[in-house]
Amino acid sequence: MATIKLDIFRFDEATDTIPHRDVVAVDLPETTTVLDALEYAKSEIDGSISFRRSCRSAICGSCSMNIAGTTGLACKTACNTVMDEDGVVKVDPMPNFQPMKDLVVHMDPFWDKYSRLKPYLQPADRDEEHPTERRVSPEDMKKLVDVANCVMCATCYALCPVVSVDPAFAGPAAIAYAYRFIEDVRDDHRKERIAQISEDYLWLCAHCYACSYCPKHVDPNDRIIDVKRAAISDRVMMDERGPRHALVVSRTIKHSGMLEETEVIQGTVGRFNVRGLLKVAPLGMRMAMRGKLPPLFMKPIPKVDEVRQIFETLEVPVS
Amino acid sequence: MSSTTLLPEEAPLPSHARTKSSQTKRYGFFPGCVAKESCKELFNSTMLLADKLGIELIELTAASCCGASVLNDVNRDVARVLNARTYAQAEALGLDDVITICSTCTGHMRAANKELVESEERMTQANAILGKFGARYNGSVTVRHLLWLLIDDIGLDRLSSMVVRPLNGLKVAPFYGCHIIRPESVNGWESARQPHSLEDLITAIGGQPVDYAGKTRCCGFHVQLEKDGIAPAMVGQNMRMAKDNGAEAVITPCPLCHLALDGYQADSAARWGRTDLPTFHLPQLVALALGVPAEKLGLNKHIIDPRDAMVARELIS
Ligand code: SF4
Ligand code: SF4
Ligand code: SF4
Ligand code: SF4
Ligand code: FES
Repeated sequence: MATIKLDIFRFDEATDTIPHRDVVAVDLPETTTVLDALEYAKSEIDGSISFRRSCRSAICGSCSMNIAGTTGLACKTACNTVMDEDGVVKVDPMPNFQPMKDLVVHMDPFWDKYSRLKPYLQPADRDEEHPTERRVSPEDMKKLVDVANCVMCATCYALCPVVSVDPAFAGPAAIAYAYRFIEDVRDDHRKERIAQISEDYLWLCAHCYACSYCPKHVDPNDRIIDVKRAAISDRVMMDERGPRHALVVSRTIKHSGMLEETEVIQGTVGRFNVRGLLKVAPLGMRMAMRGKLPPLFMKPIPKVDEVRQIFETLEVPVS
Repeated sequence: MSSTTLLPEEAPLPSHARTKSSQTKRYGFFPGCVAKESCKELFNSTMLLADKLGIELIELTAASCCGASVLNDVNRDVARVLNARTYAQAEALGLDDVITICSTCTGHMRAANKELVESEERMTQANAILGKFGARYNGSVTVRHLLWLLIDDIGLDRLSSMVVRPLNGLKVAPFYGCHIIRPESVNGWESARQPHSLEDLITAIGGQPVDYAGKTRCCGFHVQLEKDGIAPAMVGQNMRMAKDNGAEAVITPCPLCHLALDGYQADSAARWGRTDLPTFHLPQLVALALGVPAEKLGLNKHIIDPRDAMVARELIS
C-alpha cells in the first residue's frame, strides 16, 4: 500500500473563470492505474471530480489525459511509474484542447478533422469484375490493421507541437486514418482523399515523432510519410510547397550529393514568387549579416555519379 | 516498437556495444550538409574540440546527404541505400563508428542502419545497387552522436577534470529537440521522455542546467518553408518556457535546431515576447570550457550575439 497524492486540475467552464488544483490522497497499492486511483477518489472522497472513461482496458480511448507532464491513457499507466518522490501524481486535461470540466475536454476539433475524412468506405459501383463483392487479400489487409487499431484517444493530437501552434493542421490521427482509406483496395476515392488531407495540411507535419507515443502502436508518424509518398506518386496537389520541397531536396541530392540549402529555399517557395521570397528574406538577411549564408552553388561530392546511379536504379522522382 | 505506456524508464535501454573506434580513438565522421554549408562554425568547433580530446575524426568526404526526413517522403528506399553507401565508405577505411554532429542525421542514419541490419532483404537490395560501383556494406557500423561519444567514450568525470574554463554557473537550457531521442526504438540511447545527457554535460563543464517543458519539443525547422509563421511560433513557445525558467543561454546538439532557435526568436517576439536567448552548438560550449579560445568558435556567426551572456558570467572580457 502507498499513499498516492493525486494533484488534480479542477475547472468548470460553467462556473469558473480560472482553474485551481486539488490534492486528493488515496491509500492504494502503488501499481494501481491512474484511472483506478481517480475512480477511487471520486467514489470515496470527492464525487465531483470529472473525467472520461469506459472500458478501463485501453480499448475505448476515453481516458487520455496529461499525466506527470506527458499525455497517455490513464487506464494504461501505473501510478508508480509517474509518481514523484513525494508520491504526487499530477493529472491535467489533454493539452491542445479546450478544458470543459476538470479532466474532460472539448473534443470537437479532433472529431471535426476526423469527419472531414469521410471515414467510411466509398467503393465504386458494381461492375463485371465485382458483381457481388470486393475482396481484400491478406497482404493488402496487413497494411491496414495497425491503423485500424486506432482507438481515437487523441493522445497523439494532444502531443503534436504543430497542432499547438496551428489548429488548422489535421493532426496525426486523422492523417493516419486517411491512410487507412487511401490504401484500402476497395475504396474508389483515393485521389480525392489525398487532396482533402493535403488541404488539411498533411505537409505541415514536422517529423518530430511525438506521436510515436501512441498507446496502440498506430505510429501515425510513419503513416504520414506513406500518405506523402502516395501524394507524390499520384501527383496530387503538386503545386503546394510540401511536395515541391520534397522534390527539390531530392533533385539537389541527386545533383551534388548534398542538400543545397539555397536551391531548396528557392525551389520550395518559388523562384519567381517575389512576395514569398521576401517573407523568408528577413531570416536570410540576418544570416547574411553574420556571414552564414549557404553557398549559391554547391560543388558535387566526390563520386557523385554513384549517388546518381542510386537515384536512377530506384527511379526516385526529382520533379 | 516505441514505448506504449508512460513508464519513464520502462525497458532497460540497450547498453552501447563498444566499437573498435572507441578503443583506437579513430572515428568515422559524418558532418552533414548544414555543418558544411550555413553552420560552418559547428564543423570548425567540432574539429577544435576533437583536438583537445585527443581523438581523430576522419571525415567521410565522399559521403552524401543522409536524406534527412525529406527523402523518405519521395521514395521509401533511397535514403537507406545512400546511407549504406556512406557506411560502406567507413568500413573500407576500417572504421566501425560513424560520428554525427546533427540530431537529424543521427536519427535518420540510425533508422536506415537498423533497417539494413535487421532485414536481409533490404541489405541485399542495397548491396545489389552498391555492387554496381564496387562497394559493399557488411553491417558493422554504429552511428552515434558526438554527445554520446563524449559521455560513453570520454566520460563525464574525465571531461570535467579537463575543464580549464568552467562556465561559472551559466544557466543553460538544454534543447534536445526530436531526432536524437525519438523515436526511442531507433535512438534508445537514453529515455526520450526524461533525457538528462545534456544536463549532465552542462553540469560537468560548470554550468547550471535549466529545466523546462520545451526541451524535448520540436523547433519546427522541417516545416519552416511549408507555411509561414509555423517554425517561429514553435521556437517562441519553447524559448519562452526556457527564458521564464531562468535560462541565460541554450545548448543544442543539432545545427537545424540551431538555425531555427537562433534565427527565429526575432520573428517569434510578436507572439511570445522577446526571448533573445543565445544558442550554442554543443561542441562550442564544451570546447570553450576545455580552453579553446572563444574567438575561434565562430560565435560571431550567431544571429543572437552570445557575448553579453558570456561577459556577465566572466567567460570572456
Ligand atoms: S493514433 Fe494512437 S494516439 Fe492517436 S488517436 Fe489513434 S490510438 Fe490514440
Ligand atoms: S510527427 Fe508530425 S503529426 Fe506527429 S506529432 Fe510530430 S508534427 Fe505532429
Ligand atoms: S540532417 Fe540535414 S544536414 Fe544532416 S546530412 Fe542529413 S540532410 Fe544533410
Ligand atoms: S527540434 Fe527541429 S531541427 Fe531539431 S530535431 Fe526536431 S525538428 Fe529537427
Ligand atoms: S478507459 Fe477506455 S481507454 Fe482508458
